[in-house]
Amino acid sequence: MSSDYEFSDDDYDAYDDEEMIDGTQDEEEGSGDEMMDNFGDDFKVVPKGKQKSYEVEYESLSQQDVENMMQKDVEHICGIFGVDEDTASLLLRHMKWNKERLIEKYMDNPTAMLVAAGVNLPEAPPPPPPARTHSNAATQSSARRPTTRGTSKLLGLASGPKSAKSPTSPTSYASPKPLHRQLSKKDEGFVCQICFNDAPNLQTLSLDCEHTYCTDCWTDYVASKIRDESEHCIRCMAEGCALVAPDRFIKDVLLPESGNPGADPRREQNAKTWARFQELLVRHFVGCNPSLKFCPYPSCTNTVSCPSAASKSTLTTIVPTVSCGARGIGNEIQQLSQSQQNGLSLQGKEHIFCFGCPIESDHRPVICNVAKMWLKKCRDDSETANWIKSNTKECPACQSTIEKNGGCNHMTCKKCKHEFCWVCMGPWSEHGTSWYSCNRYDEKAGIEARDAQSKSRASLERYLHYYNRWANHEQSAKLSVDLYAKTEKKMEEMQITSTLTWIEVQFMKKAVEEVEKCRMTLKWTYAMAYYLARGNEKELFEDNQRDLEKAVEDLSELLESPIEPENIPTLRQGVTNKTVYVQKRNEIVLEDTANGFLDGRWRWNVPVEGFDDPEELL
Amino acid sequence: MDARLRRVNKEIADCKNDKTSQIKIELIDESPFHLKGSFPGPEGTPYEGGNFEVDIVIPESYPFQPVKMKFITKVYHPNVSSASGAICLDILKDAWSPVLTLKSTLISLQSLLCSPEPNDPQDAEVAKHYMTSKSSFDDTATYWTQIYAGGPGPKDKRNKGSGVDRDEVAIAGLDKAHVDRFEQLGFQRSKVIDALRRLNYRGPNIAQISDDRVVEELLK
Repeated sequence: MSSDYEFSDDDYDAYDDEEMIDGTQDEEEGSGDEMMDNFGDDFKVVPKGKQKSYEVEYESLSQQDVENMMQKDVEHICGIFGVDEDTASLLLRHMKWNKERLIEKYMDNPTAMLVAAGVNLPEAPPPPPPARTHSNAATQSSARRPTTRGTSKLLGLASGPKSAKSPTSPTSYASPKPLHRQLSKKDEGFVCQICFNDAPNLQTLSLDCEHTYCTDCWTDYVASKIRDESEHCIRCMAEGCALVAPDRFIKDVLLPESGNPGADPRREQNAKTWARFQELLVRHFVGCNPSLKFCPYPSCTNTVSCPSAASKSTLTTIVPTVSCGARGIGNEIQQLSQSQQNGLSLQGKEHIFCFGCPIESDHRPVICNVAKMWLKKCRDDSETANWIKSNTKECPACQSTIEKNGGCNHMTCKKCKHEFCWVCMGPWSEHGTSWYSCNRYDEKAGIEARDAQSKSRASLERYLHYYNRWANHEQSAKLSVDLYAKTEKKMEEMQITSTLTWIEVQFMKKAVEEVEKCRMTLKWTYAMAYYLARGNEKELFEDNQRDLEKAVEDLSELLESPIEPENIPTLRQGVTNKTVYVQKRNEIVLEDTANGFLDGRWRWNVPVEGFDDPEELL
Repeated sequence: MDARLRRVNKEIADCKNDKTSQIKIELIDESPFHLKGSFPGPEGTPYEGGNFEVDIVIPESYPFQPVKMKFITKVYHPNVSSASGAICLDILKDAWSPVLTLKSTLISLQSLLCSPEPNDPQDAEVAKHYMTSKSSFDDTATYWTQIYAGGPGPKDKRNKGSGVDRDEVAIAGLDKAHVDRFEQLGFQRSKVIDALRRLNYRGPNIAQISDDRVVEELLK
């Protein structure tokens, strides 16, 4: 997309690489992103105070919040099509939660749509045209499906298998289909075709397709699909049957309302499976919506909504660093009380991640594409390989890698004692008396080779300069856990040796937090500087970087200095001052870089997606 | 009883009772979850007359997860790995349904031998051979059936697939004259066979592959 993309400040809104559908675009929003329009009205992001140019607007959503959003969409579709909620959600899931397209396609051919989504059987008689209102939907929906099975033997979900004669009237929106729960009769001689259980009074279940199996098999099947395959679209067990089990069916299979709860030892396990199923649905919904992203931290179930970073093209101007609001790993920590959380907050790291790319940390100030490029470069061993390539040759006899660091062309391999000519790689014995003037030596080629070699070495040194500083800050950030622990000790020590209270020694913790934050910024400024094209802009950038680095190192040194009772007040003064200064410097770097992206000020020395090609290549 | 065990026992018993299908399932060791299935090669195919053995591993969550199958007998077929016996078949993956049984799956394998899917290959070299020259492919598959699956083989020659005088050229599905020609250039016979097989040096393809290309491949 880099080739057809002209960067400009104003047009990124209108440009979008999502596929568009004619006629479904909502023009008044000024955005070509169809998906965004779809979801845009469903939730509002409340701006939090004054926005800084390096921050993005985002909102953290719990799983419940996202479920509510899904429910809203489902109800909307129920209202338009006059179908029950299970059908609506299967339709929406089939169309990747794209309401506009679903409505269009459904209006076009409801039968095909229902079959494709696994709601109806292909042979099923076509339903009458979809109702526009949902009033009276219950009667419509029962008329809509002129039974693919005999109703007499069927029971409602709530009634359970023992009260066969009283199907309860469902109270939900539109009438849900009754579940096909029944008892096998002895005379039928029912044998489950999966487990071959032929016990009398075997409880069986089937979808509309009437492929009947025992409830235990259904439970195992559904559990296996959800737990082993993370599949939310669960089809009928029969081979080739495309019917999809609706949510109510799955819930009934996993957590049957009939029977006494607690009697089944697997009930707890099944409850977990049901929770997992709901999470899978939420993940699917989030995955379908470009303005939502699931928190990548392990076992966190929060979602972040960030509409301003929903389209790829905006990622050339903003770095959408977001936080889902949770801390630590696992649910346990989130559920702790506030005071416990405060105690743990040193270890329990905030879930900060980038909305625009898979990097699970704050990579400000550098934009996603450049950060990705840098990480790839660091990961590839290509640089080492390049160096080896341009500086070494292999011994023609034993293939050991040899670096020639001086001397003449008469090489003797340290390992195998093979003697050869460095220039032509031929054995030295063949050179006879023409030593030092290899007859195959090409003067011009030799100069070119040396040129290429020195060029490659210079670029490697340049890379290493940036890489070492980058890695240094990364290493320091990794050690921050230790630093926290050390600082905590110091804080305790300070409390004992001075008159300061716990609250009053918090300045140390603040300073450590600030240092960690700034090291993160600094780390990425080196990735940015590596790719920035030479010029005044880069010099200004590096000036800002230097100021921040100097301030951070000063503060780090202060934090490491030994604590003596007499200079605690000066230390406190110094640390507090420095912390404020460092904070200011960090803000300047972030703010200036972010503004630079918004103004299109930065130029790169390599081609970057979404930018003009560099004017001068290194 | 454990539902999985009950089902597997029933499947094995059913298979024993069914004399018409010619599908056999036997235990390999004590475990009922590691089995060996076998079936005759389908008639009218290069696999006719052979007996094909399949390694069957029944996973913990069977029948809700597909059974794991691979050929023990070496098979020359686009959808079966000629090296490992791994099988490319949809019902062994996402198209699995719990109502499928060991027997029905083995029957599916049998019918896979009848109808290869060279466009969705497991073994790309074999698939290329199939696409280039069906008759040459059939000859090779027949030869494999003869030496590995105990098939009758061509009537005129090589009555016994004793394994001692296995023809490596025929196993690779190549023409002896071609192999001889490159061997005379001073390359090892086994290397020539490897290179020509990789290049799919068969049928109409030969015209498109220059001798230089073959030598280049041989020098790799």
